[in-house]
Amino acid sequence: MPSSDSENFESADEGQDHIKKNVRRKRISSSNYSTDTSEAEPVCDQVLSNSSRDTNIEKEKQSDGWDDFDIEITTENEKHPNAKVLSIKDASSVAKKDIDSIGTGWDDVGDWGQVEIVDKIKKDEVPKSLPKPEDQSNCDISEVTEKLAAASTKSGWGWGWGVDSLISSASAGITTITSQVSQGISNVLETSIGAPEPEELARKNIKEETNKEVLSDKVSELERNDKKTEQSSSAESTFPFGNLLSGVTKFVESTGTKVIAGGLDTLETIGKKTMEVLQDGDPGLAKKRAMLGLDSGDKPVLSQILREAKAKAEEEDMIREEKKEAKEVHYENLFDDFEGLVHLEALEMLSKQVNMRIEERMRSIEPEKKQDLKETLQQVAELCEIPEDEEDDDETPDDTSKPEAFHEKLQTATQDLGLKLQFQPLVKQYTDVLEWLSGDEQVGEKAVYKRAVSSLAQATALSVEIYHKTAEMLLVKPRRSTADEADALTQMTVVLTKHVSDLATAFTVKLNSIAADNKQQINEYATNIFLESGNSSTYIQNAFQLALPILQIGAV
Amino acid sequence: MVDPIFDYQFRLILIGDSTVGKSSLLKYFTDGKFAELSDPTVGVDFFARIIEVQDGTRIKLQLWDTAGQERFRSITKSYYRNSVGALLVYDVCNRSSFEHIPLWMMEAKRHIEPHRPVFALVGCKIDLVGTDNNKSGSRREVSCEEARMFAEENGLHHVETSAKSGLNVEEAFVLVAQEVYNRIQTGEYKVEDGWDGIKTGFNRPNGMDFNLLEAETVQSTCC
Repeated sequence: MPSSDSENFESADEGQDHIKKNVRRKRISSSNYSTDTSEAEPVCDQVLSNSSRDTNIEKEKQSDGWDDFDIEITTENEKHPNAKVLSIKDASSVAKKDIDSIGTGWDDVGDWGQVEIVDKIKKDEVPKSLPKPEDQSNCDISEVTEKLAAASTKSGWGWGWGVDSLISSASAGITTITSQVSQGISNVLETSIGAPEPEELARKNIKEETNKEVLSDKVSELERNDKKTEQSSSAESTFPFGNLLSGVTKFVESTGTKVIAGGLDTLETIGKKTMEVLQDGDPGLAKKRAMLGLDSGDKPVLSQILREAKAKAEEEDMIREEKKEAKEVHYENLFDDFEGLVHLEALEMLSKQVNMRIEERMRSIEPEKKQDLKETLQQVAELCEIPEDEEDDDETPDDTSKPEAFHEKLQTATQDLGLKLQFQPLVKQYTDVLEWLSGDEQVGEKAVYKRAVSSLAQATALSVEIYHKTAEMLLVKPRRSTADEADALTQMTVVLTKHVSDLATAFTVKLNSIAADNKQQINEYATNIFLESGNSSTYIQNAFQLALPILQIGAV
Repeated sequence: MVDPIFDYQFRLILIGDSTVGKSSLLKYFTDGKFAELSDPTVGVDFFARIIEVQDGTRIKLQLWDTAGQERFRSITKSYYRNSVGALLVYDVCNRSSFEHIPLWMMEAKRHIEPHRPVFALVGCKIDLVGTDNNKSGSRREVSCEEARMFAEENGLHHVETSAKSGLNVEEAFVLVAQEVYNRIQTGEYKVEDGWDGIKTGFNRPNGMDFNLLEAETVQSTCC
């Protein structure tokens, strides 16, 4: 345990440098064996040589004794410097005089604070107290080594810092500044470098100074010499650190100052510039103040501005709403929204594609057969001509509803087409419209008009979709029967155009049933509805015309 | 019916083998619904939805849902031309649908020329790749890694989706829309006459123009 203590001491003291350690060891041993260097040393030697105690303990003392002495100086000197000097002399003289006081003599060396008690012990009951001081010394040694270990960790650095008051003050400055400027940086510095607290550093300095003053004997001189060499060496090793740290601090400091100063400068510049701009050709801001009404006592400026802004926003909303509404009753947009336009477009793409194929065939065919081909194409086109207002059997049987009758007509018209077409969406839409029109709730003329345009656009879109689907299916149909197909599509077109005109009529009937004061408006709406139904018919017939090449290609 | 106000309309086309889930994907995207059973698409169907890209620009996506069936192949290729983006759709539980992707991509490239569309590789039915004890679920036949690798090699975006749970459905379309929009911003794509891949939509309400005018007059007095 004692040897390990000594190890602790050594390593703690100079843990960072092994070479120094050796130097120190040499020093210690040399001082141990030179009798004239210290007064305390001979005491120890004598004590040890004359005593018949355990050799282990002796060895322990031999190695530890000097160190302990050393510690006591550094740790307790500042408290009773004078007393210590005295006690050293006392102890040595006592030891010389009285060999019997082995234990106490040792104790004196080991513990300066108990000089008086020791003296008493010496004089009175030496044999009795022998075991006790030994215990005490043991306990003291461990206590002391602990202290030493703690102190030396710091003093190892403390010496480095302590050499130069400049460095220590700089380091103190660093810790305070860094902790103020940035917690992070100070943390880094303290944790990584292990820089001691400034207060502690200051205390260390004082200690060492007192040590230097008090210890006038050769031991202390030697000690001091050694220290000096150490100090210089450790100062050399720590100096770059000091530079680095102060550099960092300076950088942090100067950057901070620059940022703050820069920020203030910028603000000032902005302020000045603003004033310049504001006062440009208007000294004292007279005009601007007048313009803003600041001088005229017209106080509720802000509220008025807010009111105006609100009015403006409302106006914008109204414009937006109007635009949205305009779009809502805009037939083409609605037709697009119901995907009528895109179906028409897709149908057009197919139609063009097929037309190209027909033209290609026309080019590649022998001249004599070309005429036949042309005739065939012409015949198909003629089949697709819409008959002019033929039979007018509009009267639906009473037992079937209008949508059902409509559905039936569509199916009858297309039964020879050989395709399974989906008419349900169109029939359902018709059902919904008739339901809405026969509803009990009071609706305005505008609502009827909107619904009319929307319904026409939707019915047309659904119709165009049917043409598109029919075209697609015809193109993949394995066996074509062009004449039947042409006839079926023609009939379907008649049914569909009739349907949109029926829808328009239903809506205008509803419009006219509204007892409105504005007859002019209702007439205008009714006219528009008929116009849009005409529009719908055109779309449907265009779709039919686009389907023509698809019918034709089946024949050639 | 969709909100009428939008800034651009992009036409996107969905292509891929039949029954991979193109229509279901679109139904979920536009309707938020999933149908267990659906009829095979005839030729092409249309869907539409308005979305917003990152800067808040409103884009109407006009979505062309093509039939995957072989018999419609000659028809569907007529529809490619006016597309600005193409979603290459495969079924993660159907190996061959993934193996046909290069063919679909080549066909799309050929028919969309001279325009260069934005492509995205979209895996469907990720919900069927269940846990191991899910015996009814199909096994995954296309790993995410190989799909991603193919996408990277060909400069496509890749995403795996489920039209049943809605996973990544939105992302798949937003991805393509954003890319198209970015290419408009960089000038690579333009609104052209006779090409319907990109169209300008309805203008913003008048208020905006009004504000712009005001801002200009203020500026002129200043300078």
